[in-house]
This record gives sequence, structure tokens and C-alpha cells, in this order.
Amino acid sequence: MIISKLDFLLRAELDQETLDVWIKEEWLVPRGTAAELMFSEIDVARAKLIQDLRRDMGVNDEGVGVILNLVDQVHGLRKALAGLLGTRRE
Amino acid sequence: MKDPYEILGVARTAAPDDIRQAYRRLAKKLHPDLNPGNKESEERFKEVSGAHELLSDPDKRRRFDNGEIDASGSERRKQRFYKDFAAEAAPGHPYENRSGFADFTEANDLFAQLLRRQAEEARRAPGPDLNYRLSIEFLDAINGATKRLTLPEGGTIDVTIPPGIQEGQTLRLRGKGAPSVGEGASGDALVEISINPHRFFARHGDDIHVDLPVTLTEAVLGARVRVPTPTGPVILTVPKGSNTGAVLRLKGKGAPRPGGHGDELVKLKVMLPTEPNPELEAFLSSWAPGTGYDPRRDLLP
Repeated sequence: MIISKLDFLLRAELDQETLDVWIKEEWLVPRGTAAELMFSEIDVARAKLIQDLRRDMGVNDEGVGVILNLVDQVHGLRKALAGLLGTRRE
Repeated sequence: MKDPYEILGVARTAAPDDIRQAYRRLAKKLHPDLNPGNKESEERFKEVSGAHELLSDPDKRRRFDNGEIDASGSERRKQRFYKDFAAEAAPGHPYENRSGFADFTEANDLFAQLLRRQAEEARRAPGPDLNYRLSIEFLDAINGATKRLTLPEGGTIDVTIPPGIQEGQTLRLRGKGAPSVGEGASGDALVEISINPHRFFARHGDDIHVDLPVTLTEAVLGARVRVPTPTGPVILTVPKGSNTGAVLRLKGKGAPRPGGHGDELVKLKVMLPTEPNPELEAFLSSWAPGTGYDPRRDLLP
């Protein structure tokens, strides 16, 4: 299911300017081209996580990048471990 | 239902700032995306954010304090967190990061072997599916067509539209998706079809609806008229005395469906001449339609 940029901004409660910064920082990596960005559910959920970090937990912008990188590594590790243990988790 | 003040661990007299701080402290500890494997912290986080939602809104808080509303309904709707998508995402998605254990795979023990085998499997995994959207003309959706889709990344794919395709239907083109990150097969292209509206045809299920203007003469005396259908015009017999709103059915002229076609439903619309017509006026002023002719009978008893 593709989500257009407009729907994405609405669902992620973002404005265009902030989105540009987030993409530049590579916090978000949408598909498509700069002229027509295409988002998916994982991008919406990731944007919500970034919102939670900044709004509710008071993480500053430098911190967000660090946390996202670590979160991505945790998921890499969890997948590797799940694969090793032969389990799949929801 | 637990008391929201208790959940956040603040006094009933707590200032908004205290509530915010208490929530922030708990969110940092309990946020499901920071505890991806911990079901319990997810449950607690939902409680905590529900309590925060209730108490951070001055109006809701006042009504809760006055006993007008209870804490139920303040629990956050079932939210899917980032971790849920990250866990399901296909290998090679843009946020994947395997650097956390890259060094382990260099060792020569059983664990490293397993990790290497897993990396090997990931390399052979097929590429991700890519989603596209294609809008097509109404008649192409009915009759089928081949459309060229220009990809945002450059290049094109030819998409064969099967006759009778519906709005929102998705076509899967095998192997036209993103290439595998390693040596696996390419993913599929998923093309979601949207159908542009037509100037005069409308589709309801497998039937095509069209409004057909007819002259007063054709309506009163009957006529054979040409009617557009998705496969070209056909001759339709308008029976004598047909009124505005009468629906005539052209069998098999609708959208294709398994084992046949829907119908085209032609709704007649009687049109008076656009220019005033003295002869018609003269005729009508001397014409007595009889007593049974009162089209507003049902509206004004």
C-alpha cells in the first residue's frame, strides 16, 4: 500500500519543511523520486517514533539520529537472533 | 480501571508540568520501540500514555476530577509501533542495519557459522516488491488495454490491463520489483489501478449506466436511436410514450465478468427544444391532456 506525501504528512503530523530535514538526515528513507515520494506504513510508524522521541521524551535532534541508528541495529540483531533460534516473532 | 494519577505516580494536585515530566520519565523507560521484546512494557506504556492523554488535557482532567468521566476510553487505541513493522519488514528494507554483529561473523565457531549462513540466506532472499499506481481511462478498464508505466527510478514496464478491472485492484507483475540486495530473484511490481471517471458512462458493479437525452418527438412517438456503449454505438429502440427516467437495458453491453458481461442501463431524459418554438407553444395552448394527467399528484395530495 503506497501512501502519498500528502497523506503521509497528515498521518505523521508533519509539515513539509520538517519532512525535508528528516529525509536529509536519513531518518526517513521513502521510495520514489524527489518529485514524487512514496511512503509506506513502516515510514508512518517510524515518523511516529521520531515524534514520540522529540515531543514526549525531550530527545534533541542530535539524539534522534543516534537513537534511530541503535534501534535499527537492535532490530538487525533481533532478526539475526530470531533466525538463529529458528523462531519468528510478531 | 486504574487511577490515572496512580499510573503516572503523581499527586491529584500535580501541576501540568509535573504530569508532563512524570510522563516523560515513564515514556523513556517504557516506550515499546525502546523495548522491542518486552510485552509488559508495551502494556504499561499504553496505560501510561492513556493516563497522560486524560490528565494533560485540562478539560478532560477537570471532568475526570469531578467524576463526570471515568478513566476508561482514555486508553490509547491499539497502536502499531515501529518495532512491529521493523520485525515484519522484508530483508533489504531501507532501515535494515546488520552492523551490530558484523564482527561476530569473522570468528570460527558454531555461532559465527550460523550467522554466516543466515547472511547467505539474506543475500539469496528475493528483492522487495515495489508499489506503483497507474490511472487508466474508463474505457480501458472495461475493454482491457496495455499501458506503459514510467517508473520513478527510470525505465518503463508494460502493464496488461485485463478487461473489466475494478477501481483499486492491484496487478502483480512478477520479477518487475526491486532487485535482490544479494543474488536472489527480483521482487514483484504491485500496480494499483485507479480508473478515471468517464464523461457520460458510470459503472455500478458490472453494469454501465448512461443518461441518454431524447427529443420530445422521440419520446412521444418512439424511435430508433444510436446509443454509445463501451464497445461502440448500437441502435436502441425507444418505445412509444417513453418518459424521462425510463430505463432501457442493453443486455451484455456492460463490463466483462466471469462467464459473460454486465448490462448497459440507458436512462432516458426528455429534452425540449433549446430555442422557443412557436408551433409547439401554439399546439400546447390548444391541447387538453385530460384529467388523469397530474404528475405532482404524489407530492401535493
